[in-house]
Amino acid sequence: MSYALIIAEVRRGVFEERNLDSAGIAALLGKEAVMLIPDGAYEAGNIAETVVKVKVAEEVFLNPLNLKNILGQVFAARGNPDLIVFTHSSFGMESAAYTAGAFGFPVVTDVSGYDKEKGVFLKSYYSDKIFGEFKASGGPVVISVRSGSFKEFAVDKAAKAEEMEGAAPVETRTFVEYVEEEKADVDITKADFLLSVGRGIGSKEEIPAYEDLAGRLKAVLSGSRPVIDKMWLPKPRQVGTSGKTVRPKVYLAMGISGAFQHIAGMKDSECIIAVNKDTEAPIFQYAHFGIIADIHKVRDKLKEIVG
Amino acid sequence: MNILVFAKRVAATQEEELRIRDEGAAVDLSKVPFKINDWDNYSVEEAVRIVEKTGGTVTAISIGDAESDEVLRRAIAMGARDGFLVSSGEIFHDPGVRSRLIQNFIRKENIPFDVIFTGVQSEDDQFGCVGGILGACLGLPYSSMVIGIDAVEKDHMIIRRELEGGLQERVKIAVPCVLSIQSGINEPRYVSIMGIRKASKVERKVFQAADYAAPASAGIEVVRWTYPEKKGGATMLTGELDTVCGQLLGILKEKGVFQ
Amino acid sequence: MPEQTATRVLTCIQCGKCTGGCPESGKTPFNVRMLMRKTQFKSDIEESLPWYCTSCGACTIRCPRDVKPSEVVIELRAKLVEDGDIPLALQKALENTFVQKNPWGRSRNKRADWLEKLDFEVPHVSGTESKRLLFVCCIQAYDPRCMVIPVNVARLLKAGGMEFGVLGEEEACCGNEIRRIGESGLFEELQEENLGSFTEYGVQEIIALSPHCMNALKKEYGDTGIKVVHYTEVLAKMIAEGSLSFPGSFEKKVIYHDPCFLGKQNGIFDEPRAILKAVPGLELLEFSRSRETSLCCEGGGGRMFFEVESVYQRNAEVRVIDAGKRGAEIIAAACPFCVMTLEDPATEKGLVVKELSEILMEVL
Repeated sequence: MSYALIIAEVRRGVFEERNLDSAGIAALLGKEAVMLIPDGAYEAGNIAETVVKVKVAEEVFLNPLNLKNILGQVFAARGNPDLIVFTHSSFGMESAAYTAGAFGFPVVTDVSGYDKEKGVFLKSYYSDKIFGEFKASGGPVVISVRSGSFKEFAVDKAAKAEEMEGAAPVETRTFVEYVEEEKADVDITKADFLLSVGRGIGSKEEIPAYEDLAGRLKAVLSGSRPVIDKMWLPKPRQVGTSGKTVRPKVYLAMGISGAFQHIAGMKDSECIIAVNKDTEAPIFQYAHFGIIADIHKVRDKLKEIVG
Repeated sequence: MNILVFAKRVAATQEEELRIRDEGAAVDLSKVPFKINDWDNYSVEEAVRIVEKTGGTVTAISIGDAESDEVLRRAIAMGARDGFLVSSGEIFHDPGVRSRLIQNFIRKENIPFDVIFTGVQSEDDQFGCVGGILGACLGLPYSSMVIGIDAVEKDHMIIRRELEGGLQERVKIAVPCVLSIQSGINEPRYVSIMGIRKASKVERKVFQAADYAAPASAGIEVVRWTYPEKKGGATMLTGELDTVCGQLLGILKEKGVFQ
Repeated sequence: MPEQTATRVLTCIQCGKCTGGCPESGKTPFNVRMLMRKTQFKSDIEESLPWYCTSCGACTIRCPRDVKPSEVVIELRAKLVEDGDIPLALQKALENTFVQKNPWGRSRNKRADWLEKLDFEVPHVSGTESKRLLFVCCIQAYDPRCMVIPVNVARLLKAGGMEFGVLGEEEACCGNEIRRIGESGLFEELQEENLGSFTEYGVQEIIALSPHCMNALKKEYGDTGIKVVHYTEVLAKMIAEGSLSFPGSFEKKVIYHDPCFLGKQNGIFDEPRAILKAVPGLELLEFSRSRETSLCCEGGGGRMFFEVESVYQRNAEVRVIDAGKRGAEIIAAACPFCVMTLEDPATEKGLVVKELSEILMEVL
């Protein structure tokens, strides 16, 4: 039977929103979707025709070695799918590769597009500078999909509930515990969202107000060299060639004109938003979005809206 | 502990404007410099640090053309004992092909190991698959996104996997195993040119990839190379302060960094 | 440490003249004299210390026993480089230079991009009659702030009727800072690559834009038989001979900052001043510390690429304050590193920093 098997990504009881992209590509390909999910009270929504609850704990399900055995059971019961879909996440990357290896299936990771006419998957090369069109043959293709790429294609489906017993967990790899990253020393290179301030903030007295904004936006505060030089922010918060190179999802630069040494440290950020009152500030050449305004006014307005 | 580390020589494209040749048939890398894959650099460093503590050896293996010898010299300068080049002029876009080649090489040459390290992914194709496929093919336990190795025992290791949003997962994994190392697990040492010159005196063995090729019934192939959709310069958000700030928050929500 | 260096260190009499002239000793944990002492006794040296040195060369010039402390510091760094244990930012600069032939890791294919800003063609050096090479080097080739220097100098040379060419993408970093960071192996590779080009194209003369490059090409590339000059030497001569003159007027009070690698290390004090004096309307001022005693801006010795651990008042700021006291409106420097380090504090204090060629372009 022709179907797409979606391996749901869950973590600590939460059904990840990224799964919408997995459902989206199944819908885009016109496949009936069967979604595997571990035992637990997940808000999985109605994004697949069938939702199969595998009666194993989350940590067992998220282990590629166990998943291999579970998939073996699924294939035996339902036949091979046409497509096996993972999210492109820490879990998905690991398990997509292992699944492909275990069953001898072709695999394409970080899929961000699909050309229906040609039947090819679009995959990033060289940090999105080039994309390759990939054709798979010889078996169900295993893919991991890039977050945000297919969710628009997801549609409401019946979500018929089924259950299955999971194979006994393996002993060669076992979950021990979760570890929260130590918060004591903030590592700006690990942040998804950086609020970065530059000379334009004017004085040290303004720092607490930006810290407050960062807190409300759940961003990490960083700065350009002049700010660190003046000791308005500590050295580990410096972005630039003489500080740290960062690649957050969003880099919100306020009052940073964009010296070359600074740009080199942040230009690979996924989305750069620059706020500066100087229309000629070089940072606007690198930013995806720009706002020409008084940064303090923008700061205060944002606080007002966010509350 | 004997560790095999895979190191790939990749095009350093971060600063380059890449061109596609022959109507999508190839990417022109003729003027691009090459270097060791960043993730593999962390892997070599981690392997060297482990054997410095536990004893044993690090063997660096590279699959690629003759130029890939450069990354082997570098790995030896970092502390690897041996360097093996599995020589091939071909670029393997299918990670399955690469993994099965490695599997055959290890088996045929009977290369002993306790642990195999690969980088989580390589900078050029960003597939992130070679370690996982290899682990499954060898029938060994596997973990990717390894951001910390807390304990190394004879029969198992305690490792930490990097998850999303600053969360990590501690995992016990049996040895032998395959681990894909995440960048940031350590701070790789600087490898001086003098060090590389000294390492050049250590003999590197060369094998021919053709001897280990594995016919596969399933696989993937690149049909065509394309450019991403063009983004213009900065989109300027204009209007009243209220509107502009609202738009800004909208972007933050869309990017998933603010709810 | 090479035997020669070790022997020289043994002759140190701990007179402290080095420390007295050092721009870092006193205000930072760095103390040149003490480093020499510890080297004599082969005692352990805290790893962060050698990185404070800016390679200004004051110690070496002042030393009565020819110990060459600044060279000893390079050897101390070399040991750390060999051990692979160096500040991350410097590691990046070295790795970038290895891959892309410039410390910022910018694409080598973009090294000649500055030429697009010219409205005339500059030939490859091989296509010139004179085989005179304009050596651009990294910061001028890539940094938008410093990219104006080659553009300006090319225009000035053309105005003076001088033929010259470039190496374009074939040029590699001169290696001056790389050698001072202690990575002699990488320096040798860069030297070999550049010398290969010089020989292949029969280069007879080199005009360097940065004093740092001039220093390396002139004094550290061995006996090349190639005449190496700084661009200010060429322009000063043109002005003296009357082939270059400035019709415009620049009614400003300008203070000239002597770059270490141009002044104290290579004795070029008068040419930049002669050029500035030839600018109509310009009033030339002097710092309280000028010429041989000029205060280092702290941009040399790898310090452009990383920050030292402790925080203290920057010399650039001291310099700007002094310039202000002297009544200067503009600080002129003939070195890209000086321009970069001085500009930050100057902007804050309402002063303008101009590379010498920028002033000349306003009156050409």
